[in-house]
Amino acid sequence: MADVALHTPAGEHTTTGLSNTKLAVWLFLGSECLLFGGLISTFMLYRGRVIGSGPEPAKGWPTAGKLYNIPFTSASSFVLLMSSLTMVLAVASMQRGDRPKARLWILTTALLGCCFLAGQAFEFTHFYRDGAGYTTSLFTSSFYTLTGFHGVHVAVGVVMLVSLYVLSGRQQWGSEKAESVEIIGLYWHFVDIVWIVIFTLVYLIPS
Amino acid sequence: MALIERKGQLELGDGGDRAEPIGVFTRPMAETGWRSWVTTVDHKKIAIMYGVSAIFFFVVGGIEALLIRLQLAQPNGKVVSAQLYNELFTMHGTTMIFLFVIPIGAAFMNYFIPLQVGARDVAFPRLNAFSFWAFIFGAIFLNLGWFLGGAADGGWFMYAPNSGTLFSPSHGIDFWTLGLIITGIASTAGAVNLIVTVLNMRAPGMKIMRMPVFTWMSLVVQFLLVFALPVITVALFLLMFQRNFGATFFNPDAGADPLLWQHLFWLFGHPEVYILILPAFGIVSEVLPVFSKKPLFGYPFVVFSGAAIGFMGWGVWAHHMFASGLGPISVAVFSITTMFIAVPTGVKIINWIATMWGGRLRLTTSMLFAIGLIGMFTIGGLSGVTHAVSPADLQQTDTYYVVAHFHYVLFGGAIFGFFAGFYYWWPKVFGRMLSERLGKWNFWLMLIGMNLTFGPMHIVGLQGQPRRTYRYAPGMGFDMWNKVESVGAFIIALGVLVFLINAIQSRKHKAYELDPWDARTLEWMTTSPPQPHNFDAIPTVHTLDEFFHRKYDEDPATGAMIKVKEADQVLEEMGRDEHIHMPSPSYWPIAVAFGLPILAFGVIYSHILIVVGALMVLGSLYGWAMEPATEPDSGGHGGDVAPSTELVSHG
Amino acid sequence: MMTARRLKLAGALGLGLLALTGCSNNDNPQDTFGADGHYSKLIADLNWVYIAAIVVGVIVGVAVILALIKFRERPGAPVPKQVHGHTSLELTWTILPALVLAVVAVPTIATIVKLNEKPKQCMTIQVVGQQWWWEFSYNNGVTTANEMVIPAGEEVCLKITSRDVIHSFWVPRLNGKKDAVPGRVHDWYIAADNPGDYWGQCAEFCGLSHANMRIRVRALPKADFDKWYQDQAKPATTPTEAAALRGENIYSQQCASCHVIKGAVDAAGNPVDFSKPVPLVSGAAPNLTHFASRSVFAGATFPLYLDDPATPDIDESDPYTAEHPILNRPRLEAWLRNPSANVPMVPDDERGMPNLHLSESQIDDLVAYLAGLK
Repeated sequence: MADVALHTPAGEHTTTGLSNTKLAVWLFLGSECLLFGGLISTFMLYRGRVIGSGPEPAKGWPTAGKLYNIPFTSASSFVLLMSSLTMVLAVASMQRGDRPKARLWILTTALLGCCFLAGQAFEFTHFYRDGAGYTTSLFTSSFYTLTGFHGVHVAVGVVMLVSLYVLSGRQQWGSEKAESVEIIGLYWHFVDIVWIVIFTLVYLIPS
Repeated sequence: MALIERKGQLELGDGGDRAEPIGVFTRPMAETGWRSWVTTVDHKKIAIMYGVSAIFFFVVGGIEALLIRLQLAQPNGKVVSAQLYNELFTMHGTTMIFLFVIPIGAAFMNYFIPLQVGARDVAFPRLNAFSFWAFIFGAIFLNLGWFLGGAADGGWFMYAPNSGTLFSPSHGIDFWTLGLIITGIASTAGAVNLIVTVLNMRAPGMKIMRMPVFTWMSLVVQFLLVFALPVITVALFLLMFQRNFGATFFNPDAGADPLLWQHLFWLFGHPEVYILILPAFGIVSEVLPVFSKKPLFGYPFVVFSGAAIGFMGWGVWAHHMFASGLGPISVAVFSITTMFIAVPTGVKIINWIATMWGGRLRLTTSMLFAIGLIGMFTIGGLSGVTHAVSPADLQQTDTYYVVAHFHYVLFGGAIFGFFAGFYYWWPKVFGRMLSERLGKWNFWLMLIGMNLTFGPMHIVGLQGQPRRTYRYAPGMGFDMWNKVESVGAFIIALGVLVFLINAIQSRKHKAYELDPWDARTLEWMTTSPPQPHNFDAIPTVHTLDEFFHRKYDEDPATGAMIKVKEADQVLEEMGRDEHIHMPSPSYWPIAVAFGLPILAFGVIYSHILIVVGALMVLGSLYGWAMEPATEPDSGGHGGDVAPSTELVSHG
Repeated sequence: MMTARRLKLAGALGLGLLALTGCSNNDNPQDTFGADGHYSKLIADLNWVYIAAIVVGVIVGVAVILALIKFRERPGAPVPKQVHGHTSLELTWTILPALVLAVVAVPTIATIVKLNEKPKQCMTIQVVGQQWWWEFSYNNGVTTANEMVIPAGEEVCLKITSRDVIHSFWVPRLNGKKDAVPGRVHDWYIAADNPGDYWGQCAEFCGLSHANMRIRVRALPKADFDKWYQDQAKPATTPTEAAALRGENIYSQQCASCHVIKGAVDAAGNPVDFSKPVPLVSGAAPNLTHFASRSVFAGATFPLYLDDPATPDIDESDPYTAEHPILNRPRLEAWLRNPSANVPMVPDDERGMPNLHLSESQIDDLVAYLAGLK
């Protein structure tokens, strides 16, 4: 395979021709698949266990049917999906060297991500008012744990996007920095795909 | 334009890719003294730190074992209380697996993978440093239970519901859980780092099937780590949420399934045992050819069998759960998969013997340990095959028979492999030889000790002595063998002591020979110890066992191999590269790592510390991201890459 | 070195011999090779696997030793032939072990099936584990603890569960182990060919006194079993002599909140009320109705009856002796005086029996009462 090191698009010399950072991020995402796999499995096991060991809440034991507002969550999911689109546009702009456009799309992605998180916060506040606390039942515990982990991942992504936005304003960023944007894009798309799986299994498929 | 308040960011200079000093935080440049160790990103220094830490915890775990054996040397023992005993065996297992075998493997892999593939460092040197610091902080954190109300006492496998606060109210299990989350983060980062190194930073000509077996086995191990660690991370988080935030994931009264923990744990736990053994297999695959003066027999088969073990290891986890009520179909399936994983392991054993066969065997200490592994691992592997027969396992599981099995494969396998590595690579790392005389004492004491300790466990296990019991009654027939086992444990301890003495007094030995063992692989094709940049010139590789083939050539008259060049000549002919760029030291890795135990403390004692720890982590990550991998004024070029060197990136 | 070879050889053979000494003998009450009943026999029929493993181990050991002897470095020897492999040989030694294992798999699966087959006829016993003792309940409402009495020569169906953490029911001479998991009921089976005593212990780490959670199975001839079964169903013997009557009073005030004695009355002569929840995490304490008819107590850790009346040893060394007529009074008193000093427990966390701070005369009275509960 390698008698001579190959060049990545960014100019690195690597044996496979893939950039080190990109390869690393793919591996990290691989491990994240297992992480979310474990959390999703736990949820799937416990999704029907709606009766907890504590006292019954005033509004009765919260169930998926009672809590979920599918139209609202669908809208929220759509927002996240669109943020992946804007991320793609950001990467494409960066690769063309169009820094202002790239920054615009990066900021938009971050804002859409924030909208998604705001939607989650709104949703969870309502769930809580409907009697679904973190420790109410196995269903609620595993629901919040799964969506909470996902939410933290989205939040970390937003932080990275905002940092990228700020930094790209201060320094000379040319197309050689496209890879940084691409890598954050990889992470962002992964987080989005995980949400699609969660939305399908947790919200759409009735238990 | 939103301004984010991040530590140090506002003070960043503008323009260029130079990081200006942030307040008093200039880039560390120390090359000697303790500061050079704290800020190092050199894989060799990091490896030595891993090694020293691992050996420290080996001694800690060993003392825990000796206390266990003192208690069990007689029936109805009263050396330690039941509570202390339960903490001792929990911490013995946890320490040996997570704080000794994994980091000593990391030590070997960190030191030798870059050298064996012909690189100057790993792909992400600062991430490498972070992995070490996170490991050591996690390891210390895990052990804090001893000082803060009692160590973890639920067994290293920590089955639910016994791991809940109702059944174990002290903070020991919390330290255990959070400590392992931290060390898991360290290992995951390290695994990603080493995979990228192996795949992307090989010397020209170092094709995948020309890599040394140690590097190959390490690659498989890193993949196993990347995919197995998240599973136990989930389990640990669920347990942590249950113990600290009132969740009921493993509480049957709330409708939970206690077997969930077992499945999550063993899905990690079984690949974990291959993580523990494969590096040692790799070391032995290096040592045997060198001291047999023959190449490894069947290199492709040995490599593929390692990969096969990695894959098949995912399909056997429930063999740890044969008695747990799985149902006969699951039991039958896992019985069969477990039997078949013996096949690739058997292939290795036979290939190793075939390597020796027809060779010219030099029985150095390293070689003795390698041969010892073949013998002892075979015994452990065979008892493992008897475990695969699940009806038999219903008698064996949770008895001393299984304790015998895994100590044969772990002590006689993994640990013997690491000791073979110590004696083989000590001159490479330290430029001094370990004493062969003391080494032989080390070997024989350990070999005899381990057989005396773990051999009889097969018997008492089958005679009905369960494991994890702080005492056994007289009149059961266990008395004599338990005494023998306890004596054996102290003989092992003597062997370890001999090794420590050997290690310390090796400084007085004469300085290195360039190639003391007449070795075969790339790490020997440089000085001992290597310079910080490893190779003066990155070699071009033409074959497996490149170094051997540069020294030896076929005699046209006889067809036999004869030595045509000495090592120093080979080195001289390699020449010198012109522009060598090495990454600069940094303290951000230790800074990020330090935030983790603070965060963990917050979970147990005071939730405000969670925020403090998280901010420390985030702020230090920021500093890390802002800092170029190589400091421009150090002679490196911040963003440049030289041919065949590791690159500078966000790592 | 000659010693190297000899020691390796000795090691390999020695281990083989050691393993063989694991053959059954009566000094090992929990011997897994005991095969004293149908189910443990099914498992023991697979013991040839150990022999096969030893044979393979010896072959490998011999190969290593031969290599050491034949190919030991001799001064001046040339570099050996650099053999890189032999594909057909390697394929053979990959496929051959796989075939051997396939052969092992067949009887393995067959045995798994047989072990899980419900017998056509069986007596059913509910087995419940909790920290740190075993409860056994029979279909006629009888509930005992620590000692499981079964008819010899018949199959017994067990329904195994737990009230707190995971335990494991294991009587090696009669069958392999089966976990007792809270929230689940596991079917398992035992059978003893002959009357006798069969010992076991909890085999899944369950906390502080996991080591003390023992089981004694007494297999009785059918007629004796039937009599035992009927007698156990009767309520407790009413005490007649004064000390025992006082003991019953103390029991009703101090012990009845946890321990059931069917038919016991309080000081006023009313039957004791057992309807209130038991103040323990597990929610149950051993039923003592026919306490004195058992041979063991306190998690089967101590014998209830002893050998030598003159010197009953408070640290009695062997709970596994056969029946003896002398009540183990010192240990029983010590237990009542301070239970956790005898078997480590955590009564402050409601796991295990608390110290009731009984006076010596109270203890004497209680012992008198308990000793009469035949």
